[in-house]
Amino acid sequence: MGLLDLFRRNASPRSGKQKLRSQQLFDDEFQRKLEMLALVSRRVFAGRLRAERRTKKKGSGIEFADHRDYTAGDDFRSVDWNVYQRFGKLLVRLYEEEEDLSIYLIVDCSTSMGFGDRKKFDQARRLCAALAYVGLANLDRVTVLGVNDRVVSRMPTTRGKGRIFKVFEFLSQLEPAGVTDLGAALKTFVAQHKRRGLAVLFSDLYDPAGFEAGINILRFNKFEPYVVELVDPAEARPALKGDVRICDCETGEERELTITDGMLDKMQRAVADYRSAIERFCAQKQVPYFPADVNTPFDELVLRVFRRGGFLR
Amino acid sequence: MAFAGLPLAQLLMIAGAATAVTVALYILKLRRRAVSVPFARIWDAAFKDRQATELFSKLRRLLSLLFQLVLLALLVFALGDPKSKTSILDGRHIVVLVDGSASMKAIDVKPSRVEVAKAQVRKLVRGLGSSDRALIVEMGSLPSPLSTMSSDVTELDPAIDALSASDTRADLERGLSFAADSLRGLPKPEIDVVSDGVLGDVTEIVKRVDLRGVSVRYLPIGKSGTNLAISEFSVRRYPLDKSRSEVMLEVANTNDKPAQVELTLLGDGVVIDVSRFALGPNEKLPRYYQDLAGASRTLEAKIRFADGRADDLPADDHAYALMPERHRARVLVISKGNTYLEAALLLDEYLDVTTVLPGNTIPSEHFDVAIMDGVADTLPDSVAAALYLNPPEVGAPLKLGAVLSDFGFDTWDKKTPILRFLALGDVQVSTGRALLPATGDRVLGASDQGPILVSGTRAGHAFVALGFDPRNSDLVLRVAWPLFVLNSINAFVEEDTGYVSSFRTGDVWRIPVPSSVASATVVDPAGVHHTVPVKEGRAVYLGEQAGFYKLVTGSGTDATSTDFAANLADLAESRITPAPELALGTQKAAPVSIGVPGSKRETWVYLLAAVIALSVIEWVTYHRRVTV
Repeated sequence: MGLLDLFRRNASPRSGKQKLRSQQLFDDEFQRKLEMLALVSRRVFAGRLRAERRTKKKGSGIEFADHRDYTAGDDFRSVDWNVYQRFGKLLVRLYEEEEDLSIYLIVDCSTSMGFGDRKKFDQARRLCAALAYVGLANLDRVTVLGVNDRVVSRMPTTRGKGRIFKVFEFLSQLEPAGVTDLGAALKTFVAQHKRRGLAVLFSDLYDPAGFEAGINILRFNKFEPYVVELVDPAEARPALKGDVRICDCETGEERELTITDGMLDKMQRAVADYRSAIERFCAQKQVPYFPADVNTPFDELVLRVFRRGGFLR
Repeated sequence: MAFAGLPLAQLLMIAGAATAVTVALYILKLRRRAVSVPFARIWDAAFKDRQATELFSKLRRLLSLLFQLVLLALLVFALGDPKSKTSILDGRHIVVLVDGSASMKAIDVKPSRVEVAKAQVRKLVRGLGSSDRALIVEMGSLPSPLSTMSSDVTELDPAIDALSASDTRADLERGLSFAADSLRGLPKPEIDVVSDGVLGDVTEIVKRVDLRGVSVRYLPIGKSGTNLAISEFSVRRYPLDKSRSEVMLEVANTNDKPAQVELTLLGDGVVIDVSRFALGPNEKLPRYYQDLAGASRTLEAKIRFADGRADDLPADDHAYALMPERHRARVLVISKGNTYLEAALLLDEYLDVTTVLPGNTIPSEHFDVAIMDGVADTLPDSVAAALYLNPPEVGAPLKLGAVLSDFGFDTWDKKTPILRFLALGDVQVSTGRALLPATGDRVLGASDQGPILVSGTRAGHAFVALGFDPRNSDLVLRVAWPLFVLNSINAFVEEDTGYVSSFRTGDVWRIPVPSSVASATVVDPAGVHHTVPVKEGRAVYLGEQAGFYKLVTGSGTDATSTDFAANLADLAESRITPAPELALGTQKAAPVSIGVPGSKRETWVYLLAAVIALSVIEWVTYHRRVTV
């Protein structure tokens, strides 16, 4: 019996079809790998205490962080009298506040994520489930959302790895549909979630308004964005030739083209340029960026995420 | 350049219409395949030089249209069958006369002469020039054209396939005459005779057929000939004993070496006689079989070398004959008593005679013949025919003329079956009446004073009338008397039908029909039915196969059938040694020149090949995504 089997009885009953899909997406093999990932994550971050996540927020913790000038209204108890004696300046001691880390796992549920045989969408859900499990196992507050041009669905914030089946159920119910507008959707998200934290965005970033908008919304609202871009290499060089009318699967925009091998080479370069632009942007803005190939096993991808750092500290 | 196919005006119309349709189809907007993509904006980035692409696409579309128009032009051009003017004007017109006679069935060359001839004609046709035209004619007893004058191999090939040899002679004169008529007015006329040269005496033909300006060429077929033949075959029943018959046949050795021969005679399919004898070089030997019993209907003769080997012409190794149908005739005699008549009727055991005194009631049953001895009672319809001997004035089927005395037969019809075998020249008659034949009646015998023997038909009933009482002449004391009576009866009951024991192939046969019909059906030995006309009581048919035939008249329950036989019976045709040259008068026919196969180069073929090649290139470039 696996560790997760202990929690299965607590999972809420689901409809037959959803159950079947959930079983296919998050089958026993998947769950065994999750347990392995949880163990690996503990080894990687050994020595850390649970629920001890230091935030940049200065508060009433016990570990000294910094000084700042005294201003009227500050608690006298926090004035560093030793410094006053030595330098004659009124400085206030600041301490790092300790609190639970909030992890927001945002899954792009637009139509483009389900393009073709839904490889991107399934990979995104698996990665989301894996990171959610690691987070839950580390007693973090995990919230999962599905977005397209709005917040489509939201799983209430939860904690403890026994809740992973709620995550599975939630992810199983998500369906790719609608137009991508990460800017609009994440504006709603930040408005609804005052507690800042790590916001992991699983998306192909095919946003007609530009991929920067959504990431910037997170940045500007003090979230720590983490971008996982779902990449399907088949989209870079589709098996097309001749006179075709291409149609955007989300917006319905049409273009009449005559496709040749040369055109396909250009298309491949354009996709590479687009991804380079994303990577460059993220690097400039110090946003962790991680490309996730749909053909790579999810557990391998999760380990790469851990090694890359930034997700767990 | 000229067009041998469709005329230029028609070609231009077709080209115009087809071009309009093609251009219209290209003007129509191309319906592109709809393809869904995840993010169209990336495609915009990839195709930012789309304008140039569209231009290239349009140019390629224009090239495609031009390509289609080129294909169209080639096709239309091919329809016109372009040829150079000189080749059209200078083409030969050839009538190929292929010997279809019995000698072409000889197997001295494998598989047979006629098959070798067909192969040669095929070569000849394939070697024709592009503007040459040929007409294939099978030369049998009558020339039979099997194609039109054409240069199209696909039309000539079936005609060549249809060539065959029949059991007849080849009539070269008719063949040449037909060919000369067919070539009249055509440029470069040529007659190619493809034959083994077994064509009889042809030296005088040029005097009767106008071959001026026509080039006659000869293609000999065959190597040598070893042949035995049955050149004559005939059978007849004895008039007074129809169960017995006698056969006459003639066998011939057409070789320069003596031969041991085995002759087999079959009656109704069963061997009734086998004899062996020797024949000298080119010897003909008639043979008679008398008092032959064992056959009631059919007779067949077969000849072969005594050592068992077959000769080169099997067609004349068989001969067929049919004996006259044996028929018991019902005869009604109305007479006060006539010993000579009764004696004559007793000679034929196949007669069923009923005698009635004049004035008595005539039996109601059917009679084939009524013999009216000095009376002319009214006969019922159940009596088919009548023989009047010295008919009275009243009731006779024809009027009586002057009283004659001391007269005889000064003229008589020797061909009529009624007077067959009769010697009437010195018959003496003391007294009698001249007969006045009506229109359609036939005078069979007459004295210098008037007709005394007349035949005719009244109300569908045949009659023969003799204008004197035989007892007033010495006719009754002669052999001619019973023969006259029996011949008359036989003629009435159509026993004459069987008299011709076999016909000769290649002749027009006139087969007696036992009933008055307008047409009849001849079933040949292969079982094929031919509807033939009936003229003057005889079915007319040109038979070309040896064997047993059937003549059917009427239909359903009224159908009657008569069998008859036909034989090649032509010694000239049996001499199958091929002639290496054909001499027409003083000049010899030149050999046929067979061109190189494939020399018939048609421009349209190359045009069509170009269209196909272009289509293949287009297909490959499209499907291999070279041009799209």
